Amino acid sequence: MLMKTLRLNNLNILLLLLLSFGCFMEVKGIQIKEDTTLKIDKIIIASEPDYPPYCFVDKNGNADGFSVELFIAAAKAVHMDVEIKIGIWNKIKQDLSEGTIDALPLVGRTSEREKFYDFTLPYLSLHGAVFVREGTTDILSIQDLENKNILVMKGDNAEEFLHRVKITKNIIQTYTYEEAFRRLASGEGDAILTQRVMGIKLIESLQLKTIVPLSFPVNEFRQDFCFAVKKGDTELLSRLNEGLSIVIANKTFDAIHLRWFGPVNQQRLTYFEVIKYVLYFLIPFVFLFSIVAIFFLRRTVRLRTNSLQQEIIEHQKTVNTLNSQQLLLSEMEKVTKVGGWEYDVATKKMVWTDGVYQIYGVSKKDYNPSEMNPEFKFYDKEDQEVVDFAFKQAIENGSSFDLNLRFKSADGKAKWIRTSAKPERKEEKIIRLIGNILDITEQKQSEEELLKLKNDLEIIVLERTKELHEKVLRLNKSQKAMLYMVEDLNTVTNELKLEREKLEASNKELEAFSYSVSHDLRAPLRGVLGFTQILMEEYAVKLDDEGKRICNIIKDNSVKMGQLIDDLLAFSRLNRYSMHSSEINIENMVISIYHETTEEEDRKRIELSIGQLKNAFGDTNLIKQVWINLLSNAIKFSSKKDVSKVVVSSYKENENLIYCIQDNGTGFDMKYADKLFGVFQRLHNERDFKGTGVGLAIVQRIIHRHGGKVWAESEVGKGASFYFSLPINGNNISLD
Amino acid sequence: MKNYDPIEILIVEDNPADSELMIRSLKKQGLLNELCLVEDGQAALDFIFCEGEYAHKNKNKIPKVVFLDLKLPKISGLEVLAAIKSHPDKKKIPVVVVTSSKEDPDIKAAYELGANSYVVKPVNFDDFVASIQEIGLFWLVLNQPPV
Repeated sequence: MLMKTLRLNNLNILLLLLLSFGCFMEVKGIQIKEDTTLKIDKIIIASEPDYPPYCFVDKNGNADGFSVELFIAAAKAVHMDVEIKIGIWNKIKQDLSEGTIDALPLVGRTSEREKFYDFTLPYLSLHGAVFVREGTTDILSIQDLENKNILVMKGDNAEEFLHRVKITKNIIQTYTYEEAFRRLASGEGDAILTQRVMGIKLIESLQLKTIVPLSFPVNEFRQDFCFAVKKGDTELLSRLNEGLSIVIANKTFDAIHLRWFGPVNQQRLTYFEVIKYVLYFLIPFVFLFSIVAIFFLRRTVRLRTNSLQQEIIEHQKTVNTLNSQQLLLSEMEKVTKVGGWEYDVATKKMVWTDGVYQIYGVSKKDYNPSEMNPEFKFYDKEDQEVVDFAFKQAIENGSSFDLNLRFKSADGKAKWIRTSAKPERKEEKIIRLIGNILDITEQKQSEEELLKLKNDLEIIVLERTKELHEKVLRLNKSQKAMLYMVEDLNTVTNELKLEREKLEASNKELEAFSYSVSHDLRAPLRGVLGFTQILMEEYAVKLDDEGKRICNIIKDNSVKMGQLIDDLLAFSRLNRYSMHSSEINIENMVISIYHETTEEEDRKRIELSIGQLKNAFGDTNLIKQVWINLLSNAIKFSSKKDVSKVVVSSYKENENLIYCIQDNGTGFDMKYADKLFGVFQRLHNERDFKGTGVGLAIVQRIIHRHGGKVWAESEVGKGASFYFSLPINGNNISLD
Repeated sequence: MKNYDPIEILIVEDNPADSELMIRSLKKQGLLNELCLVEDGQAALDFIFCEGEYAHKNKNKIPKVVFLDLKLPKISGLEVLAAIKSHPDKKKIPVVVVTSSKEDPDIKAAYELGANSYVVKPVNFDDFVASIQEIGLFWLVLNQPPV
């Protein structure tokens, strides 16, 4: 509204000015026309690109605007064609002063410019305004511009004005006002000083919403706009003045003005116009008001409709719930065989639920419970009397009842029912009976069945108890038998124990015997040997050769007997020996035995080859004895050969390790193989091979105690192979 | 040699062959000490404790070493050994146990009772002589009894 008022004010002033000038110029224009020849047909002018709505560039790139159109019209009126160049203000101003162009369509007349240009009559008078960013509070009058940073177009009236009034030195020059507005909007400078109308137009077209004009007038910065020519170009000046006068006089000016600034308001409004304006305002207002009223009305109706619909839905829900509950009740009554009834004392009206009808076996259509149809008999005569009495008592005295009765439904089914009732009082008067009826036929049946079951069970329990008792008796007998058996067993065990003890005792006796035998046998032997020795040493001179030979025979026999006794002792000792098993490195054992039992001299003629010998599991001392015996046998029985060849090897067979000692000796006949391991068994005569015949018996006994076997293969003259096996994991070792 | 004790070796041996061989071997070695031979356990105890037949014997004269056979008539060698080693004064007499076999379980028992050494009577006479001489030499010459 403010903008509108301003524009109207400006236009009013303009109108008055134009009218006065118009009258004056009409006389003068005619004079000019008389002494002017049509020398210039075409002139060149220049227009600014951004001084709307006076001079600007349309979207096709052509110059347009009120001043441009007015200039063309004025030039045309005096028969001149116009060529329009576009250029920024400072440039075209320069162009004019240098004569490159002939005229400018829009130049504010100032004393500074009068030095360079000549001006036509002013056709427009505009006031300046200060533009600031929205929210600027410290500029309230022209004085507040002091020392502020003010944006102006270079060479514009505004710049000249600022220089003239010397209010600030901080002038920011721009090439166009568009630039000035954009820079102000982006935060540069404090204010723009320019034409109000043009400024507002620029804000609109640039859509700079943050820039606003200030309302105080800048009175000193009034601009009268004219066409301008180069200083001294009086000829063109007078023709333009003439043209201007013509367009004002023939209303072309008004037409152009109307087109650029709209209709000009008249000073006074007529009554009719007042009404018209009133109507203009009133009708839209009434219209708007109606729309708003209709909107609110419709809204209210809609809300009310909604709430009504909600109520309907709620109601429907309630009805549905009731229906489903009724259905549920009916279903429940059917399933549980229950029914409810209500008797109104005053109206004598009986109301049944579906469940009651169900139990009575009648339909609502056929039977009215209030009337007590006499053709239906539900109870026995006796029970009927009981029911009737109870009912009567309830109505008259208010006593409640609860009865179990035999019952016969309309469809002929015999049932048991339970019916109960409670009276309802109002002011001490019985007004209603509320009761229920329950089909307890199944319950009664169950009870009966249960009773029967209980009786059956009792019988079964009795029978079972009897059976159990018999079994217990039988068991007792068996137990006794068992006890006898155990007793027998104990006796046997004791006997066995005694036997064992005896055996152990005799074993000990035997041990003691063999020990004392070897012990006591040694003593005389020692005497024989000792005294023979004395004989040979101390009486050697008295003995002839035969005597000495005999002494030697006695000595040899005594030594041999001593050896026999020692071997026998060692053999019997094996039984007493308690074994301690561990892993044995057989290879190392064989090598060390070989070196212990042979002399360096012997080894020269012995060729011992040891294959890969697996480690065994057993008693080290005993296994060592085995190897001593077997190795020394192999060496002994091959000693007649030039070279004794002994091969020791081992291999795995099933769960056993087999060791083999092979020689190239004299061998034996396989028909004596079973005698090989007997005590004191010898297959060779004493002269060829010395020995007591106990070595292999010891070997067999040791291997048997380890859970293994021993055997031999041979052929006379072709050597012998002795084998023995030991369990791989050391199991089966006899520890006693 | 003024305080030379004439009874230095007691031999307890019931087998006359063994005792003769033992005495011979000791003499052969040059150990010309005074020897006393008894042939059963009772006699051995009587000799050591100066009782019975030996009641008149000088109680201060104790043998330097006793060769004790374990198998003896009347009282066994182990009983004799126990009696010697449990007596406060006599227990310091060195006792060498003489046995027929090194397998003899009585050797262990003898050591437990306090025997000082043992010697096996081997069948081979040479060996027997060698061990008797060795033992005798040790106990008679090298070993000084505790005072």
